[in-house]
Amino acid sequence: MVSVADLLTDGRLPGNYFAQDLYVRGSTELGLLENRRGDRLLAIPDALLQAIYSGLEKETGQASRLVLYNCGRWWGKNFYARFCEELADYYKQPLSSLSMAEFLQSLQQCWKTHGWGQIHLDITYRDRGFLGVEIWHSPFTATAPQGQKPAGDLERGILEIFFSQLTGRELRCAQTSCTAKGDDCNRFVLGLEKRLQPVEALVANGQAHQAIMQTLMQQG
Amino acid sequence: MTFKLDTLFDSPDKQYLNANDLSILSQYVSSIPERMAVYRTLRDQEIAIMQPIADALQQQAGHPEPLVERSVRSGLMVLRYAAMAMLLDDDGFVEERLQGWLPEMVKAYETQAVDQQLFQLLMQQLAKVFSPAQLNLLKPSLEKAKNLMLNTRETVTLAGLL
Repeated sequence: MVSVADLLTDGRLPGNYFAQDLYVRGSTELGLLENRRGDRLLAIPDALLQAIYSGLEKETGQASRLVLYNCGRWWGKNFYARFCEELADYYKQPLSSLSMAEFLQSLQQCWKTHGWGQIHLDITYRDRGFLGVEIWHSPFTATAPQGQKPAGDLERGILEIFFSQLTGRELRCAQTSCTAKGDDCNRFVLGLEKRLQPVEALVANGQAHQAIMQTLMQQG
Repeated sequence: MTFKLDTLFDSPDKQYLNANDLSILSQYVSSIPERMAVYRTLRDQEIAIMQPIADALQQQAGHPEPLVERSVRSGLMVLRYAAMAMLLDDDGFVEERLQGWLPEMVKAYETQAVDQQLFQLLMQQLAKVFSPAQLNLLKPSLEKAKNLMLNTRETVTLAGLL
């Protein structure tokens, strides 16, 4: 039998930890924005992001995508650790006993609350060993140089590390659509390196997301 | 915090509050004792209100225990947020805190059918505990929560991923 009293461990009902009006706080008189645990948050202006892109482009040219991708990986490593720590603290249980639904929903809400857009997972290709990720309204590709190539290298890095850590497999991430080249959102595919290999050439050929996924599915 | 009256307190740089604003404020203030009474009852009778609902969902409706547990957990959450929203006289509070959470949980655990019955039973339980006037204080936020939970948009279901 379901006992309501037992559902309420020490009276708590953990829910939406990253709810925006709860999560973002600050000691404004000290000039600090903080999250609800007291870790510092920063508001980054669009113009600064643009400056970073254009500075990198000027100083490193072709390599700037690689630099951003590596920054994304660095960011992802720290983000994953902090994200897990915050959730474990909040739920007062080890992360392994948290359900996948709560974990991923927290990720979506966290993404939104930080102003990084809306992140959605696409599990259509799960049986074939691929995980799709869509990011809508990304501030990172909105300010990136617009062109023919996907520009979500920061996000590619963070996703790659985040889901590698989550699944315990060495995953790679490829971007198949990007707002910087006129697509409706940023789409990424995660999978094992060997299986993901054809994607880069397809993206370079200017293939659309759907076509790329079809080719990936046909490779068996 | 989201508080309907915030907009009143936001504007000292514009002008003093006019008679209309002050009357909104005074209506709210005079409704506080009643709101607190309802709040206290909900707080003190949380388990007493919800346990018969859990029993009915499991015994009469025959839903499996894990689904009932999930649904009751959502029900408790809704009630707590509705209680706070009622105290603040701000049903937007429910939406702001539960949007992007509860609907996704409902989808992930596929509790929609149970939740539907839970809401019916909840309204019946509350009608036993509260007067119609008191119930009216709670209704707007409960309705908001119900809509959030039962009219879930088609998006990706997260259950069973990876």
